[in-house]
Amino acid sequence: MTDALKILIQQCRNGDLPYQALIERVPYANFLGIEVIAQGEELVFVLPKNETNVGNPTLPALHGGAVAGFMEQSAVIFLLLHMGEPRVPKTIDFTVDYLRAGHYKDTYAQCRVTRLGRRVANVQISAWQTRQSEPITIARAHFLLSEETARVE
Amino acid sequence: MNTQHTNISRLEICRRFVASVRHSTELKLDVLDANESSVKVFMPYQDAIVGNPETQVLHGGAIFALMDQSGGLAGACAIYPEFEITPTIDMRVDHIRAPEIGYGVLCQAECYRLTQHVVFVRMNVFEERNPKNLVATGVATYMRMKLPGANKVVS
Repeated sequence: MTDALKILIQQCRNGDLPYQALIERVPYANFLGIEVIAQGEELVFVLPKNETNVGNPTLPALHGGAVAGFMEQSAVIFLLLHMGEPRVPKTIDFTVDYLRAGHYKDTYAQCRVTRLGRRVANVQISAWQTRQSEPITIARAHFLLSEETARVE
Repeated sequence: MNTQHTNISRLEICRRFVASVRHSTELKLDVLDANESSVKVFMPYQDAIVGNPETQVLHGGAIFALMDQSGGLAGACAIYPEFEITPTIDMRVDHIRAPEIGYGVLCQAECYRLTQHVVFVRMNVFEERNPKNLVATGVATYMRMKLPGANKVVS
């Protein structure tokens, strides 16, 4: 395994490269069209309205799988940029509750790390369209962290 | 309104439905088999859906989307010959192992309980070349919407 990605992540974290540079290195993030906005210390992920993510053509509505994939990818990027993870964490499990229809428009997501353990991170993700207080989906996931960053607590 | 499709097989309905779902066509999902309450769906390997550029392993999100779609199809099979729109209520996926790099995955989804309002589904994902190797397992529930005209999607 090379250190190219690790170096890129470090450059993004240091502010030498825009966060989007990391997203551009991940094929699936590009496939969905994910963007990331930094608001001070906060990271907001965006899934821009894109017809390739449509699930229900009649409504039209976003594909639940695309929204879930967006949330999972957001959590991975969040761990890399904000939590000092140098390697792409592996998803152990991912649980999604669909609360409202995902309309065919821009979708936003924010992540919160509930617990960062030695090997496992528990992350909660919330996605919304109109206002943050009305999420369309909420998710929680466990990620396996690399040995390299195993934190000593 | 006639919402039945007795003259169209379950497999054909599943294929027509998937063809109408843009995101699933982007994932190149292929319905291989459809039975009374279960389906088998194949998702080929694509460079575009790699989640880790260091290992080239498929993204968990793409596997999640495959499972979500397959679960909905399993529900459609159980509801057949009616056709309904069934949005996902919730779904949990456990990622057991990373699938073999360069090869696709197979999802088997089964509707194990159908009630008046809710579809209960379990799904397993296996490696393309080694179908005994479990990649992911999941469980989901879907809502039966019973919207008039839903069958237009597949007719």
